[in-house]
Amino acid sequence: MIGIDLGSRHIKIVQMQKGNVIKKALYDTIQFYRRYGIARQQRLDIDWEEIGFPPDQLTATGYGKITVKIEGAVHIPEIQAHTAGAVFQSGLYNFTLLDIGGQDTKIIKVRGGRVADFLTNDRCAASSGRYMENMADVLGISLTELSLHSEDPVNLSSTCAIFGETEIISKIVEGKSISQLAAGVNYTLYRRFAPQLKHLASDKLVLSGGGAFNTALMKIIAQQTGFDTIRVDDYQFNGAIGCCVYGGN
Amino acid sequence: MQKIAFTTSIPVEILLAANKVPVDLNNIFIADQQAAAMVEKAEEAGYPRNTCGWIKGLYSVALESQPEAVIAVMQGDCSNTQALMETLQLKGIKTIPFAFPFERDREGVQLQIKKLMHYFAVDIEQVHSIKQSLEEVRNLLRQIDTMTWQDNLVSGGENHYYLVSSSDFNSDPLQFKKDLYDFIAGAKKRQPFKDEVRLAYIGVPPIFTDLYAVTESMGARIVFNEVQRQFSMPYVTADIYQQYLMYTYPYGAFARLEDIEEQIRLRRVDGVIHYTQTFCYRQIEDMIFREKIDLPFLTLEGEGPGKLDGRSRMRMEAFINMLKNIK
Repeated sequence: MIGIDLGSRHIKIVQMQKGNVIKKALYDTIQFYRRYGIARQQRLDIDWEEIGFPPDQLTATGYGKITVKIEGAVHIPEIQAHTAGAVFQSGLYNFTLLDIGGQDTKIIKVRGGRVADFLTNDRCAASSGRYMENMADVLGISLTELSLHSEDPVNLSSTCAIFGETEIISKIVEGKSISQLAAGVNYTLYRRFAPQLKHLASDKLVLSGGGAFNTALMKIIAQQTGFDTIRVDDYQFNGAIGCCVYGGN
Repeated sequence: MQKIAFTTSIPVEILLAANKVPVDLNNIFIADQQAAAMVEKAEEAGYPRNTCGWIKGLYSVALESQPEAVIAVMQGDCSNTQALMETLQLKGIKTIPFAFPFERDREGVQLQIKKLMHYFAVDIEQVHSIKQSLEEVRNLLRQIDTMTWQDNLVSGGENHYYLVSSSDFNSDPLQFKKDLYDFIAGAKKRQPFKDEVRLAYIGVPPIFTDLYAVTESMGARIVFNEVQRQFSMPYVTADIYQQYLMYTYPYGAFARLEDIEEQIRLRRVDGVIHYTQTFCYRQIEDMIFREKIDLPFLTLEGEGPGKLDGRSRMRMEAFINMLKNIK
């Protein structure tokens, strides 16, 4: 079983056999389409041989789902894919899933292993992986560095991924340290989805998606909400794993 | 005959009694192939980007269609209508204010309707005679609505189209009546829909052009179009004042809620879609509906005219899928 998560920033492919991940790969979205995709009547034929995945049953999900249909794949909704992945990886059945993707953040209330309710961030990319990348860029630090700081945050009023840059620059001029600025960015991320988290609360909070990489953010969430907060092991591949699980069922 | 345009449903009987052609600017805007360009035109004129797409569309349509006057509903509809009215005045368009009273009292409704009758120099007998003659059309609309949720012969999109069009009867009540008869006759010959999921749609009509088609392609059907149904005046009433007093749309979230709760019970819906327009105060009212309606609930937001964006589509798909799993 092969699961494909067509993200806005990265494409994640996972192959599973008997409940185990046997192979996985991550590609830059644009590069992937350019290099491996052959469009045939509005469907994308992936050159599996070139990628190095043997032919197998395909299940796909992700942002690109609307415009890109992978030839030979069953396409499933993202919310369901992420939920299936998180249930499989965490072994939990009742929790709230926070999936921080490249362009959007999803909050899913899971009960009995199924989607009971969900919310997504509003229309802009604030509070997503893209915002983290932009802010790290402005600060001239890596995402790894950004993900370390949660103490003594500067107060950033703008959650806009673009206007946030201007505000950061003015804080740099004020002489704030990188760690304070990075912590400020991480708090801004949290504040953006905090109301939704409260709305779909559970005792357990599970993080997935590329944004779950941000350890400082995870720490802030746990501190501020008081929820038992964990992240799935293979957070970036959670959607693709979910595709395999969902497809296998 | 002179066209009289309006910004939302008003007592259209008065216009017909005065021998005017009613034009709902909303319907003209959204049916226009160039609807997106209409929004851009208003922005070029100076309308801010962060204002409702409908208001911008209405502005451009009003300028383009050059009606004799525009009736602007100042209370009970959109909070931007005052500025819309003023900017139309700036361009030399005659505007007539109308307001649904906040208190929802008969006296207030009576006063407003009388003012409008006075403006168009018609009396209550003439208006009631029109009301009477429209009863056949309104009955056909009620029939289409019943055929949607009870007989399952009418799609959500068709229900939307006919009910929303009843605000101005497509500017020609006689032709509209014929269209309704033809449609009903055709729909009666169909096989009933076998829905996996039944949905209620609450809120103002969508700015998305393919919402109903997409919903049905996902195995769900909208069997209740709340505001569109209100536009069709679903209640049998003794007089024009009572008709516009029972009409729920302009009287706030709680007036609407009563009707919504009753209808979603009656129509056995599995979930509710609440549509709100970007930058609209009704996004705040979403809190009320979310809290009071005890059914799975999806809030959809639309900004400009066109097809559903990828994100909204993803959310719709996940919502419908979730409802299928719950069933």
